[in-house]
Amino acid sequence: MKLTSRPAAALVGLSLAAMALAGCSEEAGGGGGGDASASGACDPADVKLVGQVRNESNPYEASWLDGGDAFAEQVGLTQERLTYDADSTKQQEQVSQLLAGDTDCLVMNILPNGDSDTPPIVEGAQDAGAYLVTQWNKPADLNVTDYDHWVSHITYNGVESGKQIGDALAEAIGGSGGIIALQGILDTGAAKDRFAGLEESLAANPDVELLDDQTANFSRDEALAVTKTLLTKHGDDVKGIWAANDDMALGALAALEQAGRDDVAVVGIDAVPDALTAIQDGTMTATVSSDGPWQGGIGLAIGYCVATGELSVDDIGDEDRAWFAEQFLINSDNVADFSAPETDEADFECDNVFSRSQGAIS
Amino acid sequence: MTSPVEDVEVVAARRPQPRRGVSLRDAGPPIALVVIFLVFSALSSDFRTIGNVQNIMDTAAVLAVVTCGITFVLMMGSIDLSAPGIMGASAIAVALLVANNRNDNDLGLIGILVAVLLAAALGCLSGLALVLLKVPSFMTTLGVSAVGLGVATLMFAGVQPNISDAMLKGWAVERFLGFAYLTWIAVGCVLLGYLVQRYSRLGRYAFAIGGAEEVLALSGVKVAPYKVAVFTLAGAFYGLAGVMVTSQLSAGLVQAGKGYDFAAITAAVVGGTLLTGGRGGILHSAVGVLLITALTNGLVQVGVSPYWQGGVQGLIVVAAVAAAVVPQRRRNQVTK
Repeated sequence: MKLTSRPAAALVGLSLAAMALAGCSEEAGGGGGGDASASGACDPADVKLVGQVRNESNPYEASWLDGGDAFAEQVGLTQERLTYDADSTKQQEQVSQLLAGDTDCLVMNILPNGDSDTPPIVEGAQDAGAYLVTQWNKPADLNVTDYDHWVSHITYNGVESGKQIGDALAEAIGGSGGIIALQGILDTGAAKDRFAGLEESLAANPDVELLDDQTANFSRDEALAVTKTLLTKHGDDVKGIWAANDDMALGALAALEQAGRDDVAVVGIDAVPDALTAIQDGTMTATVSSDGPWQGGIGLAIGYCVATGELSVDDIGDEDRAWFAEQFLINSDNVADFSAPETDEADFECDNVFSRSQGAIS
Repeated sequence: MTSPVEDVEVVAARRPQPRRGVSLRDAGPPIALVVIFLVFSALSSDFRTIGNVQNIMDTAAVLAVVTCGITFVLMMGSIDLSAPGIMGASAIAVALLVANNRNDNDLGLIGILVAVLLAAALGCLSGLALVLLKVPSFMTTLGVSAVGLGVATLMFAGVQPNISDAMLKGWAVERFLGFAYLTWIAVGCVLLGYLVQRYSRLGRYAFAIGGAEEVLALSGVKVAPYKVAVFTLAGAFYGLAGVMVTSQLSAGLVQAGKGYDFAAITAAVVGGTLLTGGRGGILHSAVGVLLITALTNGLVQVGVSPYWQGGVQGLIVVAAVAAAVVPQRRRNQVTK
């Protein structure tokens, strides 16, 4: 037994190792920066563009990187696509590796894994002299204006999107009736803000009654179970379902199908492809898009404009250093425009990069 | 892998099992289930409806199948954390093999079978790593879960596969005697698991390995093949559970099995299957599944705020386990 198992053990070990290796054979392409140039005076051809998101198996984040590619092509460069599998340590390692190379004309458009991951990235970029744009996550007490290489931070107003779909839901059920709410992971800012938005919408629509609110942790599977339970609890009183993201909205749709209900309006946030299909089919009412491809392009565009000297950090107003970007309500009227999202070259012109600002983050 | 069969055949002629009768030891979890049911029925008129009982059974289906698999592993005294990865791989595989929006496959039942076989192969990999490389099951199964998620992510390739296969979709929607087909599948799995546990050599040895592996080995039984077989069987159950999630959501998700590993272990332990092995079984675990599902459902029906639910649920689970193990407290003192 002992002896015969040796070769087999070696084989299993080797194949496991092979799998592990195959897993991390990520391509590290991208153009190398040329001669060192002073900050803000890079030759456009020397700029190195990097986009970093969690993973490409998420359609939204994949479209983000595609948008980055579109911008890179627009200025005759290529984007280095990086993913870190939602692993904070891996993100920091990738960033340190980037910053250990030639950083004078490095432009990074980064989605930090969580709020606490942003400060080390910012410090690193500041010390190395790279140009950094971050999106979605940053600690509230970390000020972009304290740094001159952290060019900008872009995020979205969750209260507003929660209210937008709340209003769309109220309209879809004719302004009165019972709704149930599926909340996200309760201790995240996104879940809190979006639910606050729903509460604002409820205040403006007094005939809409919130029958119940439960969390389904942003998960499609959990939303299915929770919605089934709430449907047995409230029965025909449920006229609409408000979900804090599209995954939960899709889980709710499955629960409605299994319960044989087709008279309930469902809204979500994020504009994932399945939700857009559901809106086209008429089974879902509305969702909100942050426009992933634009996010992927705009971060690189801002960094590129500063690196090449077309914009100067000193000239960017404080209100454009940390700002809310515009988000779009998608319903059956305009869903066709968002099914195949494209970037608009005009959005990435240096005098236009802040055109979608909805104001500074308060 | 089945080589040692013939030398055991002779011994098997003796009395098949020791009689125990219904002791207080096994009665704890069912009593807890009845108590929870009565309490919620008293508190909420919505909880005690036929519709809600159907709902609890339908919701319990996937967890019940996962728990069937994990129970065999726990009986052996090992642990299995591979459910999320194996379920993810089988969910994506089945979504790509039956009629779907990504390719022209339309394999129907064969597609489901292939997905379950893939899952069984991954389970087998856990078992082999445990037996041949002598890596603790905690680590091998965690590794296999990562492998499964990796396989799933590769097959996922950036576009969500949505299924259009009428049969698989129908499993979640169509009903027989008031329960969804999926619920009947879960009932079938519990029965099958019980029969395997009670009457097959695999099931008896799984118990024996958990109880006293050295004694079994000294009496001339080669335990290694049985360990691999148990992990393979568990993998097949997880695979079927992944297929069931795909049926419910009409889409193959990489995260199909997220959280099911610990939910299933919790259900098994609440039902009276000990983590130290050698005690409990499929029926115990099934009671545990119903207990957990009724609890989750009841807290929503009664209207406990979502901010409180996680904590309240945890407390009740700890209390239920404590109540269930009171009759065997002395035995549990060895459990650290």
